Amino acid sequence: MLSDKTIEEVEALKRRYPDPRGAILPSLYIAQREFGWLSPEAFEAVSIVLGVPKAHLRGVASFYAMYRHKPVGRHLIQLCTNVSCMIFGAEDLVSLLKNRYGAEVGGTSPDGRFSLVIMECIGACEAAPAMLVNEDFHNNLTENNITEILEKYK
Amino acid sequence: MITITINNKEIRLERPVTVLEAAKANGIKIPHFCHHGILEQWGGCRMCLVEVEKMPRLQTACTLFVTDGMVVMTESETISNARRSVLEFILINHPLDCPVCDKAGECKLQDYVMQYGPTAGRFKEPKIRHPEGLNDPLIVRNQERCIMCTRCVRMCSGIQGASAIAVTNRGNHSSMEPFSGERFDCEYCGNCLTVCPVGAIMSRLHRYSYRSWQVTDEIQTVCPFCGVGCTMIAQVRDNALMRVVPKLGLGSNKGLLCNRGRFGYEYVGSGERLKNPLIKKNGKLQPASWEEALDTVASRLKDIKNSSGGNAIAGIAGARCTNEDNYAFQKLIRGLGSNNIDSIARMGFAGGQRIFEGMLGPGVTSTPLSGIADSDAVLVVGGDPSEVNPVLGVHIRMAFKKGAKVITIGHAPGLGRHRTAGLLPHPQADGVVMGGLISAILKDKKSLPGGNRPLEEKITVMHLPSADDAAAACKLSAEDIGRLAKQLAGASSVSIVVGREAGGNKDTAMLVSVLSYILNARIYLMSERPNEQGLVDMGCLPDMLPGGRPLAEEGLRKKCGASWGIDIPADEGLTLMEMIQAASSGGIKAMYVMGENPAFNLPDTKNTEEALRRLDFLVVQDIFMTETARMADVVLPALSWIEKDGTYTNAERKIQRLKKAISITGMEDWKIVAEVGKRIGLKMPYGKAADIMKEIARVSPLHAGLTYADIEGGDNLWPYKGEPHKNWFSFPELSADAFTSPAEEGLCLMLEKPLFHSGTLSRKSPALNSISPEAVLRLSPATASGLNLKDGDFAKVSTEKGSLSLKVKIDRGIDGPAAFVSNNFEGRGLFSLTGYRLDPVTKSPLTEGRQISIEKE
Repeated sequence: MLSDKTIEEVEALKRRYPDPRGAILPSLYIAQREFGWLSPEAFEAVSIVLGVPKAHLRGVASFYAMYRHKPVGRHLIQLCTNVSCMIFGAEDLVSLLKNRYGAEVGGTSPDGRFSLVIMECIGACEAAPAMLVNEDFHNNLTENNITEILEKYK
Repeated sequence: MITITINNKEIRLERPVTVLEAAKANGIKIPHFCHHGILEQWGGCRMCLVEVEKMPRLQTACTLFVTDGMVVMTESETISNARRSVLEFILINHPLDCPVCDKAGECKLQDYVMQYGPTAGRFKEPKIRHPEGLNDPLIVRNQERCIMCTRCVRMCSGIQGASAIAVTNRGNHSSMEPFSGERFDCEYCGNCLTVCPVGAIMSRLHRYSYRSWQVTDEIQTVCPFCGVGCTMIAQVRDNALMRVVPKLGLGSNKGLLCNRGRFGYEYVGSGERLKNPLIKKNGKLQPASWEEALDTVASRLKDIKNSSGGNAIAGIAGARCTNEDNYAFQKLIRGLGSNNIDSIARMGFAGGQRIFEGMLGPGVTSTPLSGIADSDAVLVVGGDPSEVNPVLGVHIRMAFKKGAKVITIGHAPGLGRHRTAGLLPHPQADGVVMGGLISAILKDKKSLPGGNRPLEEKITVMHLPSADDAAAACKLSAEDIGRLAKQLAGASSVSIVVGREAGGNKDTAMLVSVLSYILNARIYLMSERPNEQGLVDMGCLPDMLPGGRPLAEEGLRKKCGASWGIDIPADEGLTLMEMIQAASSGGIKAMYVMGENPAFNLPDTKNTEEALRRLDFLVVQDIFMTETARMADVVLPALSWIEKDGTYTNAERKIQRLKKAISITGMEDWKIVAEVGKRIGLKMPYGKAADIMKEIARVSPLHAGLTYADIEGGDNLWPYKGEPHKNWFSFPELSADAFTSPAEEGLCLMLEKPLFHSGTLSRKSPALNSISPEAVLRLSPATASGLNLKDGDFAKVSTEKGSLSLKVKIDRGIDGPAAFVSNNFEGRGLFSLTGYRLDPVTKSPLTEGRQISIEKE
């Protein structure tokens, strides 16, 4: 179930729209934050607060690419391998993440610590390679500093 | 008047409709996938493209409204090319598996591709595959066949109101899915599979068993499950029932069915059906010949009549038997010199109706179902229409969607998302809430409507509680009651839907009448069985003769008796529960039960069963070996609804024809009754059901002159061609405690009306058992966590009468401290836990002993 605070957040969103369906997308993001991914329970919880049928919620969510439709690790690494980042060695970082943490592209490390998603350009070419860890931005990555950075995410 | 030209044909229209509808009404076919008569227009499939003069490009006929002078062409080379392209796009991913697809032969895509092509595909890319969805017991999804017309989704959310399926994923990968992605978690109405134009959603019940062109007979009949009486088409192949389908525009259901009607029919072919008459010998039921069985029944009944008098004989008529069956049955019982005849209609339907008619006039419950969707306020009291009468429930949901105020009093989880307000007093305090509502409405309206003086006089001496007092008595907010009263008072067209619980209690039934009077509202009486109204009209009541004529009126009684060649006793007989009590005390010695299962379906099961055991002679006529049949001295096997002709009268008081679709050896209920009747010297010269209808039309003033041809021709609405009885107004007194709320707190045991079942017949239906296999204890999440119970735990539910071990099911639809148990599964019925008291006027058993304790096991 959602926490009381989150329910309040969703309720507040719901009040902003004439039809509660207007609040579906942001509400799902809130639920995703709380549950880690859009689990059946997450849909159920949002459905109860918004009063929108859960099949409809799932239909809407499945249209969009940036919702998480399966469980992810505790931290989500979104690493760019587009042109600039690739030139500055992003592919090596991908191998490093795999070898060191066991995080395959699109997968999760066996200890459940990191999930790795490859992004198409996050607009940080001037300081490539770059990545997002959860909502934090990191750039000028090297094989050395990436492990230092990731040490902060247990 | 609008004049348009379609294909050079001039068409005149009264009101603007879409081009597609205008064409259809004039016999011009425009191909379409996403359009469906009952659904909202969408315009998404692009198959109905037509050319319209002075419009630059092709238009979709299903969304384009006609305007005066419009010139339309529905077929041309341009149009054919466009349609062929649409089909080619659909066939990018649609497999060419017609040879193994059940839909072949009635598939729109197949038909249109035959008509417009393309004959070969131009795409080399592989088709997108979706594995067949076989995770659901009833509905199979073949999503690679889906053409994304969204008919099913619009049906589910727009009409049925279940919103259980949605278009999931994007673009080419889209598919129609229930929430789980696999198994459906829904009302299983199956209306999605009615509207699917291709083979993407289909019933598993008749999978691979036949093709649509192999149907040898299509017979229009009436659903055997509840009192809505949905019209359905039985499809028969070589004397076997293959499936039942609704038909758009036919009957009150207008193309809809519920899960019981659509998937429940398989009981007909159950291997457990009784085939031979059985006679109890040495304490065991043993097969016997028809002759022996019928002779035994007749001679034992005669013996008991001679030794103890006709009053020692009682009959329970069948709410799933036809009017013809029930008419013959009451004639037999009366011919035996007894008025002890009643039925399950006693449990709320017949008594409620009597009070409504007594206070408001005859025929007051004869209200067409379509009126609900046109109401601007609907008040539901005493039951959940979405579960008892699902199609009626859909009409309420439609009204809600159109903006009507829907107000429920008591538990009605099926309307949870389709109501403006719900009041939840203690289950025995509906009366207080209604009293408060009435006084608030009267305050708002300032005066009584005038017109029914006796009723108005009655209202003025009712000592109605004020809204404040009512709210205080049942711990509700007075503002809520005041607001709802305003909504009701302000509505110009109000419907009141009344369930068994409210109908059986004279106080609530009287208050419903008052509400109906002051709001000028229509009354809809929920009816759990297909022919409860027929039981009332055919005189299967201890105080009424066929046609709603009171036994007390000597002239009528004599006339009726003369036409049957008997003397009808003048004394009123016993009602249903009184018969059971009399059986227990020895006053009733013989009982004839037709198409009913009193040992299970009546409250206080244990005592009822003991009473039946005390009988000297018990005859049970049924299609299954029921709990009651097991105790019988003679068991007579009858025919099921699809194997006989006759009529049912539904809750709207509409008589509808039941037609024989398959023939098996055996006798109809009326025939068995007539055979017994002949053996005791009654005149029952019936060769076919129509002969009985002829006699009904002669004897019952209400049905005077009515024939099957009239019924089929649509002349089937109350009061038919006859005369309703000039009503004697009768105003019972309100009980002293009508406006009090029970003080006791704590968990309250409630009867669950399961959506998926209706008792003795439905539990023999494998499809319904696959979605609802066992009795459960339904609790709200709060109640369950308070008792430390989880989904799937076992709990012992105990009352004064006994205890049951049941699986726990947490149900978010339940509010308040209530525990729901159904009365459906053998040995696991709620009625084994509760007692009853008889309402002094309606004589309905009112549930007593709702206090329970629940322990985890």
